[in-house]
Amino acid sequence: MTIRFHRLGKSDEDRTGMSRRMFLMTTTMAGITTNAMLSGAAFAGSSALNPAQSASVLQMVQDIYPHPGLLNLSHYEAIVASVAKTADEDESSAKTLTDGLALLDEKAQELFGSTYAEIEDADAREGLLRHFQGEGFFQSVRWTAYFGIYNNKDIWPLFGYQGSSVEYGGYIDRGFSDITFVPEGPTLEERMDDVQN
Amino acid sequence: MAEFDLNDESVVVIIGSGAGGGTVANELAQKGIKSVILEAGPRFDIGDIENDEWTMFSKISWLDKRYSAGGWHGSVNHPTLPTWIVKGFGGSTVHWAGVSLRFKEYEFKTRSNYGAVDGANVEDWPVDLAEMTPWYEKAELKMGVTGKTTGMPHLPWNNGFRVLAEGCRRTGRSDYRSGPMAINSVERDDRPSCQQIGFCMQGCAIGAKWSTMYTELPRAEDTGNCEIRTDAMVLKIEHDDSGKASGVLYADKDGNQHLQKARVVCVAGNSIESPRLLLNSASSMFPDGLANSSGQVGKNYMNHTTGGVYAALPEKVHMFRGTSVAGIVGDEVRNDPARGFNGGYYLEFLSLGLPFMAAFMEPGNTGWGRSIAGALENYDKMSGVWVLGEDLAQEKNAITLHDSEVDQYGLPVPIVAKTPHNNDYEMTAHAYETTAQIYESVGATDVYELPAYPATHNMGTNRMHADADKGVVNGYGQAHDIDNLFVSDGSQFTSSGACNPTLTIVALAIRQAEYIAQEMNAQNI
Repeated sequence: MTIRFHRLGKSDEDRTGMSRRMFLMTTTMAGITTNAMLSGAAFAGSSALNPAQSASVLQMVQDIYPHPGLLNLSHYEAIVASVAKTADEDESSAKTLTDGLALLDEKAQELFGSTYAEIEDADAREGLLRHFQGEGFFQSVRWTAYFGIYNNKDIWPLFGYQGSSVEYGGYIDRGFSDITFVPEGPTLEERMDDVQN
Repeated sequence: MAEFDLNDESVVVIIGSGAGGGTVANELAQKGIKSVILEAGPRFDIGDIENDEWTMFSKISWLDKRYSAGGWHGSVNHPTLPTWIVKGFGGSTVHWAGVSLRFKEYEFKTRSNYGAVDGANVEDWPVDLAEMTPWYEKAELKMGVTGKTTGMPHLPWNNGFRVLAEGCRRTGRSDYRSGPMAINSVERDDRPSCQQIGFCMQGCAIGAKWSTMYTELPRAEDTGNCEIRTDAMVLKIEHDDSGKASGVLYADKDGNQHLQKARVVCVAGNSIESPRLLLNSASSMFPDGLANSSGQVGKNYMNHTTGGVYAALPEKVHMFRGTSVAGIVGDEVRNDPARGFNGGYYLEFLSLGLPFMAAFMEPGNTGWGRSIAGALENYDKMSGVWVLGEDLAQEKNAITLHDSEVDQYGLPVPIVAKTPHNNDYEMTAHAYETTAQIYESVGATDVYELPAYPATHNMGTNRMHADADKGVVNGYGQAHDIDNLFVSDGSQFTSSGACNPTLTIVALAIRQAEYIAQEMNAQNI
């Protein structure tokens, strides 16, 4: 089952253009807005992964969930650090990963005459990765990236998600009904009338 | 709190503490009838509730080994998570969103209205809307459902529902409102009014949403007539030489087995565990499983015809602010075969947090890459619905037992098979198109179609039928084969209807408790 994009409003070209413009704009702010996320994200050396392998994983996580306009390199480096930590702590997952990366480069050489990380075209890299999406090493990196981005409270604000609200008394006084481009909902009197008459 | 002896043969043993089991227990307790609830999961209270999707998923979900099978995408994409239900105190009333709709008259009588449907096993309920209406009213008063019965106004509209409602208005619809919900819009029944916290499906952190966790279960305990044993996984229902249910064998937290004797047994373990238990209780007298002379135990598994539709709007929506299901569109709930399918569907506004949106936008191994990432960048501009439509019963959609694998209790692992009927495909296509039109009328730039989530609405696997050859239980949920054995959960449903099942489960449970009391007084059971 794949997602069907029922109707697309913008062409892919427009999206790419938009993303690139946003990327230029936001990278200058990244140092300010993402300080909190950098802790533990230092790109420390890994015993299980050599620098080329680490570079491949870094490219992978950026191709798996590319957010050039929202995230900066340090977010992705933090995910690589997490992948490397698992590999450092568990020999069998390290082997699964490094074997997988070797197969990825082998396929890249076969199709593009270069390593995976050296392929310049993003679509080509995604297409190459699609060959491996049923493999354990790929899904392991993918889910690490998933949790590192979409289940990361420090990153949520960049997507406009505010998360937990009970400690603030909910959203009842914090914009649960504040949009202006559609009409307001019925008043309390109208809602009372609806159920009592 | 009451404590009953394992050899006390006078108690009603209730298996499960959710909408069915919790309600039956409290109804019986208020009448002075003694019961023991055996709940497979741990004891939760409101302090366990957090506003975090994955934390709560890990904390409360039923994650014992199960397999998905059949032709739905989940057998590939959710191979060990066919359903999304709760194991613990309060059952899936911790997780439910609060939507409290009644069945329509035609939905109780699907065989009469649809006729024989190829490939389906459609039958009429032995009850109808006129019979159920007073019980629905009692359920609405018990649960605190916004609407005419309680006089409680429906909840205020949040951003996400306002977008959907405006789309409905612009496309000529008329039946869209922010209720009926079993969520307090004013203080009622010692519970506060909704603070628009969101995370309804992670458990209501303040108790504004009805759940047996903080209503029926503690109230049953307070009477001194009900003992609730948690971490008590039922293994088998025992019967005596005459074929009457006589006790329930369960394993406690440490794996020690106990046999609780019983005068009456009520099975309310949800539509996977309830038939699984009856099948696992096979004996020389009942070689095909308890109450299974019809051969229908475990069959006719229904979980609604569903999908998700999310639209990216031109401006910010912040759909996560406020109740998770903030409004319901009912215009498409009618039987109009000219549309190409039997039955109808609701569109229910449903917010997902960013973590779940990213997981369910495209489930499975393929849900990554530029298209997904790009769509998720629209997260704060999204509004969306859960499509909820009637699912036709089919015999081949069934709960069966694995022939070699067992779970941590030594019980055969259940296999949950679901293959959509052509009716489902037609209905889903119609619902996707309808929803896209609604959102496009308010300027949606993109519309994303999501396949069904692991099912929270599980129904039909011990269905009621007037004819003992075609169903497992009668109109009171009483087994045709065994007078003192009852099914008290959604597995008694004969058809799924289009609506969320909880209100009907509670209404049936109140009615069943009345019947059990009457039959016990008459010494019939």
